[in-house]
Amino acid sequence: MNFLVASIESLGAKVTGWFIVGYDIFAFLTQSLLLLLDRSTWNRATFDVVVKQVYFTAVQILPVFLGYVLVISWLIITIILTTARDFGLTGFASEMTIRVLVLELLPFLTALFIALRSGSAINTEVALMRVNNELDALEHCKVPPMQFEFLPRLIGGVVSVVTLAGLAGLLALLLSYLSIYGLSMAGFEAFTQIIAKIFNLNILFGLIAKCALFGLAVTLIPITAGLETPKKLFMVPVSVLRGMMRVFFAIVAIEVVSLALKYI
Amino acid sequence: MAALPDDVARVALELPLRANLTALDNIALIPLYQRHFTAGESVKQAQAMLEQLGYAGIAPLRDPDMTPAQRFVTQLARALILGRSRLVIDRPGAMLYDVSYPDFIRQLAEQTSSTGTWDIYDFSWNQILYSQALDPE
Amino acid sequence: MKTLHFKVGLFAATTLLFGAIFVLYILHARGFFEDTYRLQLAASTADGVAPGVPLVFSGIEIGRVSTLGLNDNGGIVIHAELLARNAKWLKENSTFTLDKPIVGGAKIRIDSPNLDAPALPENSTMLLLTSDVTKEIPILVERVKAILANVEHLTRKDGEVNGTLANLQTMTGRMTGEYGMLEAILGSPEKARGVTDSLEKTRALITKLDSLALKMDSMAAKADTWLFAPDGVAPHTREALAQLKLILADAQSSLKKADALMTNAVAISADVKEGTQDLAKLRAEIDDAVRKANALVNKINKIWPFSSDPEVKLP
Repeated sequence: MNFLVASIESLGAKVTGWFIVGYDIFAFLTQSLLLLLDRSTWNRATFDVVVKQVYFTAVQILPVFLGYVLVISWLIITIILTTARDFGLTGFASEMTIRVLVLELLPFLTALFIALRSGSAINTEVALMRVNNELDALEHCKVPPMQFEFLPRLIGGVVSVVTLAGLAGLLALLLSYLSIYGLSMAGFEAFTQIIAKIFNLNILFGLIAKCALFGLAVTLIPITAGLETPKKLFMVPVSVLRGMMRVFFAIVAIEVVSLALKYI
Repeated sequence: MAALPDDVARVALELPLRANLTALDNIALIPLYQRHFTAGESVKQAQAMLEQLGYAGIAPLRDPDMTPAQRFVTQLARALILGRSRLVIDRPGAMLYDVSYPDFIRQLAEQTSSTGTWDIYDFSWNQILYSQALDPE
Repeated sequence: MKTLHFKVGLFAATTLLFGAIFVLYILHARGFFEDTYRLQLAASTADGVAPGVPLVFSGIEIGRVSTLGLNDNGGIVIHAELLARNAKWLKENSTFTLDKPIVGGAKIRIDSPNLDAPALPENSTMLLLTSDVTKEIPILVERVKAILANVEHLTRKDGEVNGTLANLQTMTGRMTGEYGMLEAILGSPEKARGVTDSLEKTRALITKLDSLALKMDSMAAKADTWLFAPDGVAPHTREALAQLKLILADAQSSLKKADALMTNAVAISADVKEGTQDLAKLRAEIDDAVRKANALVNKINKIWPFSSDPEVKLP
């Protein structure tokens, strides 16, 4: 009996914990969105920090990222084309590659890439800022850290995921054209027809919205996870661990919801 | 100690500098985000503050690269640029462990044109050090 | 800091450029900068057609069905849209066929046999053929051919009917000969039965043709008035129907030939002894068969009037 009560209690504690985490994340998001509307946010200094964040999140890793996209895309295109040829479904192959790669896989992988590289870094940094009292110092100086620490990271994350996923998608489109038609303009008309069939404006805006949500998830969740770190140095790894788990779940959830909206 | 009124600027070990910003940027944050000066103007004000304290050279250094004295000066500059009427230096011995800090602080105080009062809180057993201190307490 | 800004600027500019090019490309691909070419397709049934069904020319999708509707006469009107640049594949002699493959979705296949033909004007109404009609007609033709072969087999020089008639001739010859009536009477029952059997076969054939006509009748009912339109039936379909008519006419003539032989036989026998009961019956049966075949051909003619100019009723 006691065991039952204890397990119900622990379940209740967990659910409450999830709600608190969710509430914190959305409260933080609302706060940052409100700040976006504030004119004083849009100054040169914030812009500089945003530029710096975009540099560290997107530009710095561009060669590595594009190389990785090249390999993944080439492999998947080859697999789909070969399989389609074996089953005599070549007509569907190009549509399939574009749908799988450009619309689903590459944005997802980009989000994971950014989450692993920048998300974890952001989580650690914010956790350390909190544990080292740096945030308290800023608070004492009446300088809200939101504008120059958190908001630029959010913007940088969104911009980076959207641009990197876009570049990756374009690269994959180019690769799939080259794999199917080779170095000639012969298939351009047919390819254009397929593109026209797949990308209507809903799909395009959906893709951009999905990438933006990915970018938000891989920065917003680590920041809030870092902010709730207890003021003990040994809690920093725990905070990063929790934050990254939440990021992973959020990315999967966004992907699942987007797929459900598209195909159900 | 924790509950100080809003018009008090505090220099303390618990209020460190932002680790990944230079000394200059740490100071410039205040005019930039509190008083909405432009970035250039804020940096100019911060640089002026450092020059006044005689430490213009530490502007590009970050927290881990500074000596305790340099770090203290930066924290002090950040507190001074807040422009609050009262300045409290909390247990300077914890921050300035490599210099004779009462003299050091007095020297800094003389260089500034600050009009407010400077208070130093310290442990009573260190009182002997402040034989010529400003306002020992 | 400056190189950092430069790199980020370069990155942003390149990405924006690529993004803009891609958006323009999509707009181009979707025909945002082009006029939409509209086309109406008239069909007897909307079965299998839905908005979004592609129009396929030579295996490449060039347009889509936008809406479906009924007109005042209860006919189905399918509105299709294609990009102006793809409209060049539509000619006045183009045919539109609804394809429902076993694997994959339905599509409307466009065949333009002659690309030098004048272009199809916009907003014109074309007929949508269902591929099961065009598929069924060759099968029908095959079946008629088989029946015809049977008829021919019966009526060929050394065929059963001919043979029987020849026998009859010799028999009646004998009747006038030295052996006289007795032989004729003795020989006649079996011989006459042979002729009757042949005629039974011919009759069965006629029944078959009749059921075929019935089938065509139902098909025609399904196809409705659209099939009578001047360009309504695909050329090869029309050809097939013409062929069918030819075959039926052939069958009729074969039967007529048989009839002539019979008449001859009866004339011979009548010459001798006013004919037997059996021969009179045979004659009546032949008459009946020929009449039936005639009726059949007329019926088919009525259902598919090729030469006459029927009322054109487009939905």
